[in-house]
Amino acid sequence: MGRPDLEPTIGELLDRHGVSRRSFFKYCTAMASLLALPPLAARALASQLRSAQRPSVIYLSFQECTGCLESFTRSFAPTIENLIFNVISLDYDDTLMAAAGAQAEQAREQAMRSHYGKYLLVVDGAVPTGDGGVYHCAAGRTGLDILTECAKGAAAVVCVGTCASFGGLPFADPNPTGARAISTLVPDKPVVNVSGCPPIPEVIAGTLLQYVSSGRVPDLDAHLRPTVFYGNSIHDRCYRRPFYDQGKFAKTFDDEGARSGWCLYELGCKGPTTYNACATLKWNNAVSFPIQSGHPCLGCAEPDFWDRGSFYSPIPSPRWGKAGEVSPAQAGDIAAGAAVAGAAIGLGSVMLARQRIKRYQRQPPQQSEPRNEE
Amino acid sequence: MSTLGHIPVCVEPIGSVLDAQGMVGGGMAAILTELAVLLERLVQHGEPGAIDVRSLPLSPTERMRLIETLGAGEVDIRIQANGESHIRETSIPGVWWSEHRDSDGVLLVTLIEVARVPEMVAAADADLVRGAERLRAVLAPLCAAHGGTTHGTT
Repeated sequence: MGRPDLEPTIGELLDRHGVSRRSFFKYCTAMASLLALPPLAARALASQLRSAQRPSVIYLSFQECTGCLESFTRSFAPTIENLIFNVISLDYDDTLMAAAGAQAEQAREQAMRSHYGKYLLVVDGAVPTGDGGVYHCAAGRTGLDILTECAKGAAAVVCVGTCASFGGLPFADPNPTGARAISTLVPDKPVVNVSGCPPIPEVIAGTLLQYVSSGRVPDLDAHLRPTVFYGNSIHDRCYRRPFYDQGKFAKTFDDEGARSGWCLYELGCKGPTTYNACATLKWNNAVSFPIQSGHPCLGCAEPDFWDRGSFYSPIPSPRWGKAGEVSPAQAGDIAAGAAVAGAAIGLGSVMLARQRIKRYQRQPPQQSEPRNEE
Repeated sequence: MSTLGHIPVCVEPIGSVLDAQGMVGGGMAAILTELAVLLERLVQHGEPGAIDVRSLPLSPTERMRLIETLGAGEVDIRIQANGESHIRETSIPGVWWSEHRDSDGVLLVTLIEVARVPEMVAAADADLVRGAERLRAVLAPLCAAHGGTTHGTT
């Protein structure tokens, strides 16, 4: 029986729409695979999801190219329609929603009032803070103003894409608009960074699903990224890794090594310093990923990837590190964002991430991160 | 004017490159070893197990050889539940190759399951209860017409 005093659970909604248990179990099996859970965890995931309520989601876009949303809408598992209708309640997204103008803003305000303290705020794009924030305005307000208002009643903030996570291209030198990462502007809420330019669609969907099923922010690395997706470097999971170990490298894009599928390290591959799931989940429903297509990894899921010198210069080996290790400068920025996370949801994960940052700061690398100007 | 179809393309699977360099075999041996452990656990303790094929760094050639090695058994099940699931018993009883697709035919997940019967095949408890209710609903007018009563709890 439904409970008239509460919103329906996901299970009740599924029953109402005639979704069979086998269909849902299959969906959860795919999700368990996506989340790198043991295959038999699908049953527990199904049970958790069925008893959970759909969280209200407010999606804000700032300085971005809409590539992240384009990526999100191409998720194969779960599909975007399945996610929107069954798992989350997408109450505001000015790109996807039919309403516009005052009606759209009213929908956002209504969702914020109805779910104050509970809704999930998803953000893509950096926020310009220079010159009073005038470089991004919507509905007569600056992006900074809108973000501050929406973050206030959010249970957690999910930053989709490298621009929202670390500033991305708007933040790149010389950063004329004063763009900043969301974690530096929302100091009092749990923040999850889903970086990538764009992020893998299944990683975006999987992060939201993980939040819905567990009711808390997932385990995070020092960059506040879910470790389930960002725990391994591209290099460590790359199918070309055996060639690296044998010292077999492509020297140009058309030499014998390139044609033989050898390692792209000497062509500038940033796989060793980039943490993402491209090598395992891949893209376009696991068809391929950049390295499989013969191009070095650009490192787009890492902070300052645009300012780290040429995409086609090999990275110096002292910069290699373990998952979540960051330069002291980056660590300071991230710590500022995570330092006062006080909400109940995700506090443990945020605290763990902070501990990793502190551990790193006590043992900094021997060589600092080079930037373009160097 | 040239079209994409006129451009000659030669696709060489990565597996063949790895094969030529003697890099095939380790992954498959590891999977078969794990399957042996899972099967032993099923026999001794009745605990099912599964291996998620997507998470394994297998080359296409290795994957093909794994399927060939496991072979085909007697049972072949197709389930239509928001897309097709194809569950095949391998030549090793208790070891199943399961592929689940969405309604567009896109492959969602591939598992090697070790179980007497994969969980998805069995009807869920809640579905059994609903099935019984539906049967009673169907039977009620028939029984009323013949002056009888339906059996079972409500």
